[in-house]
Amino acid sequence: MIYSVIKEILVAFAVGIRNIFKKRMTLRYPEVKLDIDSGYTYDFKTDTASPGFKGRHILYTDKCTGCSLCAIVCENIADCIDMVRVEGNWPINERSVMPQIDYGRCVFCGFCVDACPFDCLFMTPEYELSVTDKRKLVHTPFQLAVFPEKKGTVKLIPDKRGAHHA
Amino acid sequence: MQVVNQGGDQMVLHVGPQHPGSGHFRIIVTIDGDYIVAAKPDPGYVHRGAEKMAEYRTYIQNIPHLERPVIIDATGITLPYVLAAERILDVESPERAQYIRMIMAELNRIISHLYWLAIYGIFLGHSTMFMWPMGDRELFIDLAESIGGTRVTFSFVVPGGVRNDIPEGFKERALKTFQYFEKRIKEYEEIFFNNPLMKSRTVGIGILKKQNAIKLGITGPNLRASGIDSDTRKDEPYCLYDEVNFDIPVYQEGDSYARCMVRLKELQQSMDIIRQVLDRMKPGPIKHVIRGVMRGEPGEAFVRTEAARGTMFFHIVSDGERFPYRVKISVPSFRNLIGMSHLLVGSRLADMPAVYWSLDYWPVEADK
Amino acid sequence: METFEDFLKRILSIIFWLLLLSPVIIFPIFFLIIPVLGISIPTTNEFLTALIDPIKGIQLADKYGVGPSSTFFKIAAFPGFTFAALMATLIILYERKLIAKVQLRVGPLYAGRFEGVLQPIADLFKLLGKEIIVPERADKLFFWLAPILSIGLGAALLAVLPLSPNIYIARSEVSLLIPFAIIGFTPLVILIAAWASSNKFAFIGGLRALHQLIAYEIPMLISVLGVVILSGSLDLMIIVESQQQVWFIIPQLLGAIIFYITILSELERTPFDIPEAETELVSGWLTEYTGMHFGLLQLGLYIKFYALSLLFTLLFLGGWYGPAFLPPLAWLLIKLFFVITVVILPRAVMPRLRIDQLMRLGWVWLIALSFINLFIAVIEVSLGLI
Repeated sequence: MIYSVIKEILVAFAVGIRNIFKKRMTLRYPEVKLDIDSGYTYDFKTDTASPGFKGRHILYTDKCTGCSLCAIVCENIADCIDMVRVEGNWPINERSVMPQIDYGRCVFCGFCVDACPFDCLFMTPEYELSVTDKRKLVHTPFQLAVFPEKKGTVKLIPDKRGAHHA
Repeated sequence: MQVVNQGGDQMVLHVGPQHPGSGHFRIIVTIDGDYIVAAKPDPGYVHRGAEKMAEYRTYIQNIPHLERPVIIDATGITLPYVLAAERILDVESPERAQYIRMIMAELNRIISHLYWLAIYGIFLGHSTMFMWPMGDRELFIDLAESIGGTRVTFSFVVPGGVRNDIPEGFKERALKTFQYFEKRIKEYEEIFFNNPLMKSRTVGIGILKKQNAIKLGITGPNLRASGIDSDTRKDEPYCLYDEVNFDIPVYQEGDSYARCMVRLKELQQSMDIIRQVLDRMKPGPIKHVIRGVMRGEPGEAFVRTEAARGTMFFHIVSDGERFPYRVKISVPSFRNLIGMSHLLVGSRLADMPAVYWSLDYWPVEADK
Repeated sequence: METFEDFLKRILSIIFWLLLLSPVIIFPIFFLIIPVLGISIPTTNEFLTALIDPIKGIQLADKYGVGPSSTFFKIAAFPGFTFAALMATLIILYERKLIAKVQLRVGPLYAGRFEGVLQPIADLFKLLGKEIIVPERADKLFFWLAPILSIGLGAALLAVLPLSPNIYIARSEVSLLIPFAIIGFTPLVILIAAWASSNKFAFIGGLRALHQLIAYEIPMLISVLGVVILSGSLDLMIIVESQQQVWFIIPQLLGAIIFYITILSELERTPFDIPEAETELVSGWLTEYTGMHFGLLQLGLYIKFYALSLLFTLLFLGGWYGPAFLPPLAWLLIKLFFVITVVILPRAVMPRLRIDQLMRLGWVWLIALSFINLFIAVIEVSLGLI
C-alpha cells in the first residue's frame, strides 16, 4: 500500500516534469492574432448559411432597400438595430434608411443576417470592437460598409509537442 | 463573510456571494467546532425572470434569450427548447440536422465538464489542474466555433433543423483534437485522479446513498455516481441517440471521487459519440424551412433531454399566437440543490468546497 | 496648483539654507564628535579614487575595515544579506517561470527584454509605491515589528552556513544547532503578526500556521540527527568534509525525504499551504499587510527558503564537493539550484491537504519514520559502513 502511494506521487511529479518540455499554449495576443477564416453569411435564395465567425457586421449599401426586417427580428432579442436616414441618392432604397448597429447591445446571434432578403448584411471575422468612448460603439451604416482588414496569422494546433499556436 | 454568534456552541456562517469559494449564491452553514450541523442554500441572486420574458418573444427570438442562463452548455438548454417548439409548430428536422445537433450537444458537454474540472482543481488547491483543462477546453471551443460561429452562445439550433452545415475539414480537425485529448485525459488521471493527496480529500467525503439519491430527486452524473443507471439519452432517446453505441459510466460508492470519475469517463464517451456520428453522416438538407410567421396550434409539448448537469425538462404551452403562452423549464442544478444541503451535514468545514462543487451546481442556471 | 516658478523658488531656497547652515552642521561632526569616537573616515581624495579605480578602491576599503575579507562585508554583502536577498528575488522569478512552464503558459514575460527577467524589479517598484495601511485597532508596535523580525530571522539563519571551505561568516563547533534554534522562533513571529492584525480570520489562520509549524519541527530535528551520528560532529564544516567519499543522501535516504517534507511545511508551501491560501479564510495571517510591509514579509520568507535549501545541500548532498573542473562554489550553486527546483515542484503537481490530515502526518507518521531513520544510522555506524 505504501509502495503504491509512493509510486503514484512519483508518477505525478514525472507528469509535471514531462510537461516542462512541451511548447507553451499561450497566444501572445497583441503581437500575434488568431487567424479566422471567414465570416457568417446567409444566402436567401437557397436558404443556406455558410459557417463562419460571427463578428462585426458588414452592410452592402448598394443592395440594401431599407426593408428593416433586420430591425424587426432584433427587436425582442437585443434591440440594437435602428434604421437611420442616410444622405445621398439611393436608387433602390426609397425611404433612404439603412441599419445602424449598437455594439453595446448586440449579442452576435446572427438572426439579422438570416432575416435579410437581399443578401446585403453579413458578418465578418472582426472582433476587436472596443472603444474608449461609449458613443463610438454605435456604428453608422457607412462605418458598417467598410470591410475590415485581415489581421490574424496563427491557429491553435494540437500536435506531439503540445497544443500551441503556430 | 459575516459571523453571527448564536450563543451556545454553534456558530452561523454566511458563506456569501462575495466569496472565493462560492458562486453567485449563498450557503448559510451552522457549524459546531469543525463539523457542519446544518446547511441552507440561499439561491436567487441571479434571478431575472427568464420564463416570464420568454412569453414576450417569438419562438426564434427565444433562442438567444434562453441560451443565456446556461451559457456554458448552450446547446444543453437550446436543444430541448427547440425540440418542444418543433412539436408545437409541427415540423420535423432532416436526418443530417439531427446528427449535427448531436455533435454540438456532445461538444458542449465536453466543454462544460472541462470547466467543472478546472474549478474543482483550484478548489482543492491544485493550480495546474486549473490551467490544463482550461487550456484544453480552448481546443474544443475552437471546434464548436468553427460550426456555430461564436465561442459560447451559438444560437445554432432552430426549429426545423440547424442554421448552417459543418465546415469542410471539420472531421480531420476533430479527429486530431480527440487524439491529442485522449493522451491528455491519461495525464489528468496520473496527476490528479490517481494522486493520493487528492484521493484523501475526496474518497469517502460526501457520500450520497442510493435510496437518498432517489428520494431527493438528484439528477445527472451525481445520480450515476450513486449506483443508479439512468441517462435520458438511453431511457428516452431523442435526436437519433439510439443509433450510436455508447456506455453510461456508473459507480457504486456515491462519494465525491465517484462523481469526479463519472464526469471524467463521460468525456471519453462523448468523443466516441462524435466519432460515430461523423462516420454515419450522409449529405443532405440541414433545415426544413418554415415560411411565414411561426405559429403553432394550441397545445402543449413536453421534452426531456440530458444536459451536461442532468436532465433538462421543458414544458411549452401554446395558445396559437406567435409568442408561447407559457414556457416552464426545470433545470438540473436547482434539483440538485437539495442534495447540497443534505450532503453538507456531517462533513467538515474544510470539505465544503470539495463536496459542493462535486455536485456541479451552476447558480445562474438554477435561478434562471 | 504650483507653477514652475514656485517650484524653482522652493528648490533654490532649500539649497540656499543648506549652504548657509552647512558649516554649523559639518564642523562639529568633523572636529568634535569623530575625534572623540575615534572613527577614521576616508578623505575626499581617497573616496574619489575608490570611485574611479576599483582595485585601489578595494585596497582602501581594506584599510578602513570594510574590505572583502572583513566581517562587515561578509555579513552585509557576499555570503550574507545582499547575496541572500538577490538569491531570494531570483528564486521568486524562477518559481513563477517554472510553475508557468509546467502549466503550459508563460510566466512574467514583458518586464525585461528576455522572458521577463526584470520582473522582480518591477515588483519592487510596485510594492514601494503602494500605501501602507495600518488597521485602526491593530497593535502598532507589533504590527510594524513582525516584518522586521521575519527578515531578521531569515538573515540570521545564514550566519553559520558556509558556501565553500573559505567562504563563511562564522564558524562554531555546534553550528548545526543554530539554524534550528532560529527556526524555532518562527511560530513566535507568526503569532505576533496574526495577533497584531486584530482580525478574527487572520488570527485563525495564524493559529493554524502555528499548529503546522510546531508539529513539523520535531521530525526536522530528529531526521538530521542521523547525519550527526554518521559524521560524528555538530559542526557544519566537518559534516560537509565527511561527505567526500559518499554523499549522505545515499545512506540516509529516509532522513533526506523527511527533512524535505518538513522544509515544505516550514515554508508553508503546497501541499501544506493551508495558512496561505484558504478558500474560507481570505489570506491567512498575512491578510492585513500591504505594500512594502508585505514585501518585507515575503522577502523574509524567501530568504528562509534559500537558507533551508542551502542547509539541505550541505547536510545531504555533499556541499561543495564535485569533480575538479569547476570551483567548489560553482558546485554548491548547481546543487542548490537542483534542491530549489525540487522544493518548488510540489506547488505545481500536488493539491492541498486538510489541516487534520496534515497534523496526523506530522505527529504520527513523520516522527515514527524519523526514529526509524535514526536507528538505521546507528546500525550503519556500528556495522562500520561509514
